[in-house]
Amino acid sequence: MKAQWKFTRSRKRAGVSVVVVGVLALGLAACSGGGSESSGLDGDTLKMYTWIGGKADKKQWADYVAGGVHADPDMKVSFTGPPIGDYYTKLPTVMRSSSAPCLVTFQNGRVNQYVEGLEPLDDLAKENNLDLTAYSSAMLEQLSVDGKLYSIPFNTGPTVVLYNKQMFKDAGVAEPTNDWTTDEFIAAAKATTKDGVYGFAIPQASNPIATLMAADGHPWADEDGPLLDDPNFKDALQLLVDLSNKYKVAKPLEAAAGGTFPDIDAFNTGQAAMEMQGLWDLQHAQESLGKDNVGIAVIPSKNGASKGFIGGSGFGITKTCGDKQKAFEAIEAMTSKSGLEFVTKSQASVPARLDALDAWSENAGSPEFATVIEQMTGDATPSPVPANQAELDTLLTQYEVDAFSGKSTVDEVLQQVKAGLAQ
Amino acid sequence: MTFVRLDRPEEEVADASVAPPGRPKGRLRRRPLGGPRWVGWAFVLPGLIGLAVFIVIPQVASLILGFSDSTLLGGTQFTGGENFARLLRDPQFINSVIVTSIFVLVYVPANIAISMAMAMWLKTRIAGRNWIRVIFLIPALSPMVANAAVFRLLFQQDGVVNQALAAIGLEPIPWLSDGNWALAVVIGVSVWQSFGYNMIVLGAGLDSISPDVIAASRIDGAGPIRRFVSITLPLVSPALFFTTVLTVIGAWQTFAQAYVITGGGPGNSTMTIMLYLYQTAFTNNQLGYASAIATVLFVIIAIFTLFQLWGQRKWVHYD
Repeated sequence: MKAQWKFTRSRKRAGVSVVVVGVLALGLAACSGGGSESSGLDGDTLKMYTWIGGKADKKQWADYVAGGVHADPDMKVSFTGPPIGDYYTKLPTVMRSSSAPCLVTFQNGRVNQYVEGLEPLDDLAKENNLDLTAYSSAMLEQLSVDGKLYSIPFNTGPTVVLYNKQMFKDAGVAEPTNDWTTDEFIAAAKATTKDGVYGFAIPQASNPIATLMAADGHPWADEDGPLLDDPNFKDALQLLVDLSNKYKVAKPLEAAAGGTFPDIDAFNTGQAAMEMQGLWDLQHAQESLGKDNVGIAVIPSKNGASKGFIGGSGFGITKTCGDKQKAFEAIEAMTSKSGLEFVTKSQASVPARLDALDAWSENAGSPEFATVIEQMTGDATPSPVPANQAELDTLLTQYEVDAFSGKSTVDEVLQQVKAGLAQ
Repeated sequence: MTFVRLDRPEEEVADASVAPPGRPKGRLRRRPLGGPRWVGWAFVLPGLIGLAVFIVIPQVASLILGFSDSTLLGGTQFTGGENFARLLRDPQFINSVIVTSIFVLVYVPANIAISMAMAMWLKTRIAGRNWIRVIFLIPALSPMVANAAVFRLLFQQDGVVNQALAAIGLEPIPWLSDGNWALAVVIGVSVWQSFGYNMIVLGAGLDSISPDVIAASRIDGAGPIRRFVSITLPLVSPALFFTTVLTVIGAWQTFAQAYVITGGGPGNSTMTIMLYLYQTAFTNNQLGYASAIATVLFVIIAIFTLFQLWGQRKWVHYD
């Protein structure tokens, strides 16, 4: 009887173990990401994961989907996602999950860190006879890694100076011209700094440095990473620090969580007369300050011959997508000439297709806007996106505060950032 | 009435002749689906699965990943103890351990002291004490991220706190520009957020002290300090032990406050271990290295907790 009891007990243990292992295996399978035909689709609707920070973002994506449907009535895309501040940290886990989408989006050409989960698009473009020469070549280059294209651009976002026209008028300052110099920019910032309002709002991290360097024709990074030892890199950061500490025309940067945009908040709420941002912020600024109250200007340069810094956005397809052909057709539709022209009716972002620029000038911009865009996109400094840009931005955001507080020199900050990247 | 232990083997139960009279002995062995033991497993299994899926497997997976160079999207190569060796020479990690240690050393005593003081105050017969308890508990009930975001606005250069200082003629303080002040803000917000919970637990401990004991000590001539040290503290020590253990564990895992208020800066003055772990995994895409950090953090917390469990014999009184 004892032997029988032992046998019964071990059988029960085995049974329980099988149940536990089975449940765990099911759970793990559910978490491991799929590769079935339905992966990334909800019925026949493609799922897209993108940044959605509020109503304006939601409207933007609805407009791009509507543009796609305008070009291809059979296209079906749904979208979801977190605010931009959380997007890039959540993206890898979402791409690996069982509910991974078919489509993802990238801003400022930031595909480099995610290529392991992305489908290269060169073959699909060839099979579908997509004419890539119709898109901004600078954007295609940014969205490629090791010669492979991972994302098709839908907008091209040259960084520009956005300025509050009323504040310039009240200060008696002439609006910027397309050949304005750094000295003229500082003078305008000084004139508009008054009554608790600053002339300029300083952005965090690498984008303003890269933009200022590009304006003078200096690339800020190469394939090995940011050029932290380049004197022009130091000069650009020093100028930002001086705007606050020496010229007193900007609020010093403080410690802040990555992915927040105090400069945009300051400009859009009338706390600063100028900001330096991608054109993607134009619509937000116009909605906050009035459509006719927001002007755009080229980035000031030392000699007045400013070059552009391009950082637009694109659509990519995940490796786990169950129907990559369908996903590519959706991208084709959303980035088609008629699709992007449709989008310009309600969105101010500049289309990545050169043949849709006329519609943008007509619908979203103005002749003066078009002149700025042409100068910034036509003569752009190559702006590679290093694989460690996210790390760089985190470290710069942390350490540059010490230069603004006077605790460290710009040289010391750059050395600290360099040491952090070396880790 | 005869009680039968349900955890005894069926044979023993059967042999004990406790089955209802007239029932054949063999019936117990043939009870459907295995009888009491199976029922026990059925009750335990949901919890066991939850424990395995959400705690044991992630812990084991994290431990294993710590020995690899795994990334979030890429493959996994096992690298032996390289990640752990790297931790020893990583100044950013060492800094995060120092910052978190300072946080624990200041935050835990401050939290417990304020919680205890508030609980003692609320034990007195003041009007509306229950409402006051609820008010102090509200920060603990609201999300830390939301609280931290509000405090960020309050402490920024032109925020309400500096405006208040200016109104009384004081110089503004660089709360978020100076490393020491930034860490002070993070600690202060953390204490403000969490003392309410400890106050409730300690308050319950204080309420359980018999008034007769206090009255007896008064008759014996014990003053307020003597009563607090010799009567109140020993009798509230189980609650104090409970709150201290949880507060220490929470302090080592501090993340949201530093993430939202300072992002770890200025420099790396508020870079806690958890924030560094998060950045390593999700910003730097080094899942293997982040897992090694998680394992070390687990060991640190385990050592502190075991030390406290061992130490309780000397100062916690359950009588």
